[in-house]
Amino acid sequence: MNRRQAVGLLLGTTAAAAITAPSAAVAAEDPAKYPSQPIRVIVPFAPGGASDFAMRLLQPAMSQALGQQIVIENRAGAAGNVGMDVAARGAPDGYTVFFGNVGTVSINPTLYPDMTVKPDKAFVAVSVASETPSVYIANPKFPPNTVKELIDYAKARPGKVNFASPGSGSVDRLEMELFRKAAGLDMNHVPYKGGAGPAVADILGGHVELMSVTLPSAMPHIKSGRVKVMAITSRERNPSLADVPTVVELGYPDIVATSWQGFLVPAGTPRPIVDKLFQAIVKATADPKVKERMLEGGVTAVASDSPEQFKTFIDKETARWAVVIKESGAVAD
Amino acid sequence: MDVLSNLGLGFAVALDPLNLLYGFLGVLLGTAIGVLPGLGPVATISILLPVTFTLQPQSAIIMLAGIYYGAAYGGSTTAILVNLPGESSSVVTTLDGYQMARQGKAGLALATAALSSFMAGTIATFIIAFAAPTVAEFALDFGPADYCSLMVFGLVAAVILAHGSVIKAIGMILTGILLGTMGIDVNSSLPRFTFGVPQFGDGIDFAVIAMGIFGIGETITNLARGAEAREYVKNYRGLWPSPHDLKAIVRPALRGTGLGAALGILPGGGPVLASFSAYALEKKIAAEPDRFGRGAIEGVAAPEAANNAASQTAFIPLLTLGLPASPVMALMIGALMMHGLYAGPQLIAQKPELFWGLVASMWIGNLMLVVLNLPLVGMWAKLLTVPYRLLYPSILLICCIGVYSIRNDALDVIVASVFGLVGYVMTRLQCEPAPLLLGFILGPLIEENLRRALLISHGSPSVFFTRPISLTFLILTAIVVAILVLPVIRSGRARVFAEETN
Repeated sequence: MNRRQAVGLLLGTTAAAAITAPSAAVAAEDPAKYPSQPIRVIVPFAPGGASDFAMRLLQPAMSQALGQQIVIENRAGAAGNVGMDVAARGAPDGYTVFFGNVGTVSINPTLYPDMTVKPDKAFVAVSVASETPSVYIANPKFPPNTVKELIDYAKARPGKVNFASPGSGSVDRLEMELFRKAAGLDMNHVPYKGGAGPAVADILGGHVELMSVTLPSAMPHIKSGRVKVMAITSRERNPSLADVPTVVELGYPDIVATSWQGFLVPAGTPRPIVDKLFQAIVKATADPKVKERMLEGGVTAVASDSPEQFKTFIDKETARWAVVIKESGAVAD
Repeated sequence: MDVLSNLGLGFAVALDPLNLLYGFLGVLLGTAIGVLPGLGPVATISILLPVTFTLQPQSAIIMLAGIYYGAAYGGSTTAILVNLPGESSSVVTTLDGYQMARQGKAGLALATAALSSFMAGTIATFIIAFAAPTVAEFALDFGPADYCSLMVFGLVAAVILAHGSVIKAIGMILTGILLGTMGIDVNSSLPRFTFGVPQFGDGIDFAVIAMGIFGIGETITNLARGAEAREYVKNYRGLWPSPHDLKAIVRPALRGTGLGAALGILPGGGPVLASFSAYALEKKIAAEPDRFGRGAIEGVAAPEAANNAASQTAFIPLLTLGLPASPVMALMIGALMMHGLYAGPQLIAQKPELFWGLVASMWIGNLMLVVLNLPLVGMWAKLLTVPYRLLYPSILLICCIGVYSIRNDALDVIVASVFGLVGYVMTRLQCEPAPLLLGFILGPLIEENLRRALLISHGSPSVFFTRPISLTFLILTAIVVAILVLPVIRSGRARVFAEETN
């Protein structure tokens, strides 16, 4: 009874929450009955992007595990901050779920210090859902063929080697900055915008020498031989790129990095509900069909060990990228 | 022979009743959203994308493509009828199309737009079928320096668009560029001219400015006129172009198609740049450039052909290389991904029925557009006889709904209203809006590519002169500047646009 009153009060005082989840009170009655109505998952990017792709593959399996419809709501804008803001204002009843990613949850807080939502305070972590490694690709005409050759080549030409990225604060750029620092290189960053496409186009055209980019964006060009691959940022080799060494093998275990997506719920969501969602994510990410479809796109479906582990992971990621962002000058202090 | 048998396969796919239906649905929807200002192809395709996940991949792509070129086409209808460009690529169509409508030739203008678009669509389809891979290689050769010079050329050519004062046109272009700099800076992630408003982080949407200046501004301007001047189209003359008109359309449409097809394969403002440059070209080579801006039929035919050709050749880098030339094309990649397909050179070999089905459906779609729209021309033209007190409040309402629908934000409606006032003041001062909008679109692209080119060259500006493509555009720019400036020097008067072209 107490909990119901508390949640009711919270709802009453938060007009936005009441509007966005009109029947939240039903759920507040008994978390054991959750979910008794469709759940909306907010994807902070447009359909067709990496986040949307992963969520749509997870949707049927999660629906089945929860025994409820899952409704995907794409709220794009301002590097994902628009969608994150909408989700943070949802009622903490388990019917508003945020499908965040490394950019929104772990990079934006440092990159945009003025943003209104602080993800570490506004959300409770549930579980990671997918991880995508990046590859270091280069134009075939670029002389170095391996990471070792690249290091020698760049050391001999400080500040002269250009690397592209899909944006100043993109995870792709920060991954290259990690490598640059680990190898002690001075390279020149060239930011693009509008997704990975334009940057990859300039690699193909030979206008920029190399870049770190998520595997799905690079795959067609690797297959067609228009780019060469020097390394992959995952811990283990990728089955579809069996001859590409990992950064661990190359002696840089600290620069292992993935672009990840994961589920978060508004702060204050009852623990039993978080657990139910967590179980559903574990089931969905283990579904062979989901795993296979994701792998075709270069993405690995994976769940956290526990909500706490996801929380620790996020905190680590946020701290790690904050250092890289500040050191690389991706944002002015 | 190979291409022919492939095209045969394509038509077999595209003529499948189900695919025909989806293609038809696509162009119908596209035309509708093109006519409704605000809701553009990107938003519509985003909304409908999830629906297509349950379809066959080729049906999905055929439908989405139909929306895309249907919108490019439908946008010109409102541009001609009520001076309201539905899409950025139909801004130029307002210049002469609307003037034709005011002279009672709305039907002729609409038919011209439909026929030139169809002609361009047919030719562009053949270009895709026969030359896609070759053409795509050419697009890869364009580096940041080359884009920058191309855009500079486009901006300078924009001065030709104006039929009034050159100084005012330059002022408008610069204002447009300034407006285009709003938002988070790509290189530094710092906000510029956002006034602390988070919604300005992505800048102002093109449709917000266009609808404010054109739609709302035009309504205010009309209100300021006398009642008799407002209801201008009491009777309209024949809808179907006379043989004489047809003759006047063909050459400009062909030139527009050529320009459009070439510019469409380049990322960034392809169709927009294409329509602007096609118009500028026609005006430059016309015997009486004075007719432009006063209802010249070439001023409708050329840009309409150009934007349609460009929106189709924009598929080439996507289908042959897996590289999106525009946000719509990026959505197409996403759509393919959901079907487990990856756009790129392998796609044509792996799924020939998809590639050739799409190519064939483009031509069928263009045919459908003509069949769909020509009978409607009479109805559209009659719309102009609706009394002012009914027509213009409806336009205002549609503008507001359109602007709001872009991202469900009331702020955009307020911003559009402010631009409505700006548009009215501009009309009173005889400043033309088209150069402003071109500056708004090209300005940010110039900046982005200029900074990128200089980053890549490590600060050396020589890159603009040593790259052959870039140098070519800079020389062309110099020639255009010379054409614009010489008569002024020669005559000592500001009658720049009265000059003859040999």
